[in-house]
Amino acid sequence: MTLAPRSDPGHEHEAALIGRIQSGERELFYELIRPYERRVFVIAFTILRNEADAEDVAQEAFLKAFKHLAQFRSESRFSTWLIQVAINEARQRQRKTHLEIMRPIADQENEDGTYTPRDFTDWREIPSEAVERKEIREKLIAALGSLAQKYREVFVLRDVEHMSIEDTAQALGISAGAVKTRLLRARLMLRDLLSPGLDGIWSTNSQIPKGTKPWS
Amino acid sequence: MVVTCEHVWSEISNYLEGDADPALRQALEEHLARCPRCQSIHDGMRNVIELYSDKAMFPLPDGFYPRLHGRLADQVEERRISRRAWLVSVGVTGALAASAVCAAALDRFVPRPLSEMSQPARRLPQRLVAIVDGGKMFHMLGCPFMHGTYHMVTAEEAVREGFAPCTRCMRDALRSAGKVTPDFDGEESAGGATEGK
Repeated sequence: MTLAPRSDPGHEHEAALIGRIQSGERELFYELIRPYERRVFVIAFTILRNEADAEDVAQEAFLKAFKHLAQFRSESRFSTWLIQVAINEARQRQRKTHLEIMRPIADQENEDGTYTPRDFTDWREIPSEAVERKEIREKLIAALGSLAQKYREVFVLRDVEHMSIEDTAQALGISAGAVKTRLLRARLMLRDLLSPGLDGIWSTNSQIPKGTKPWS
Repeated sequence: MVVTCEHVWSEISNYLEGDADPALRQALEEHLARCPRCQSIHDGMRNVIELYSDKAMFPLPDGFYPRLHGRLADQVEERRISRRAWLVSVGVTGALAASAVCAAALDRFVPRPLSEMSQPARRLPQRLVAIVDGGKMFHMLGCPFMHGTYHMVTAEEAVREGFAPCTRCMRDALRSAGKVTPDFDGEESAGGATEGK
């Protein structure tokens, strides 16, 4: 387990907050979770691929974190523990709703196998406001959603939420090596899915041609 | 070190993380410089990382925060109730304390019995007892606990005025007769009122 550095002021601040919450100042829980409210939702959304479920799961995760705060071990990061709670909650919800019936074929792949990129189109330019365009954002979300869950989980923690490799590994209960392997695969697959040569997604023409693979 | 395209693809992610030793890094960079395909992979992956890093990627649903805090408040509500109860209890305690203080203050004007031995009798004896000036108890004459000057009143008057029976000289009388109906048939001492200090 990666231990948060004792000298980390954020960690010390959180540890102090948790102590005060456990001593009865429970309103401070809001302050404790504020930096992670968005992160918990995004992770739940990435796993569940459904906004309403993700919001509900995020709420449940915060409630569970509140109820079980006494079980939190102060030598680890609160954020990592909270993310673990959220991931577990999302996975449970997923099992209940049988979302994995729609499991992508890539889920059954062996992650140790080599992945060969499909497209080699030059892709140096990104429109500066790309993500502000709703249709592009939707394509990005759809592309991520099409990956197998184990890749989505690693990718969202590392590349969307910028958690360290070690924290990502701890949150998911896997090795740092497995994080790197899955991250490579996720990034390669997303690159293929989003390559401009496939559907002209980066063209200034906002009209996205229908029938373009792989998400239409 | 010479690397193949496949080797580049397997290392490109770590390379972008800055997680490649110097020799490998140099070999990768040399390969990328002369291989458009791998350069395309590199650029594409870098762009993917950049795109998904954007905070605008995953907009929160409208009303997310109010709903979240509303849901959490259900938990907090328990605390609020208990906190309210706590406040009420503190308030009640404070009120009781305040009344106790007031009562203590009133004691200065309305003397009260000062010990459990001073429970007022339902049937108060008419015997005379001694009240020491400035004291709080009444005694049988000759009680060794009497000090100073005294005057005699009936036991009834003494109790009414808030004096308590002396726990020593009155004890036996109270025991034999019960607290509420003390019997003062004990033999009076004919001794002086100012028995030795």
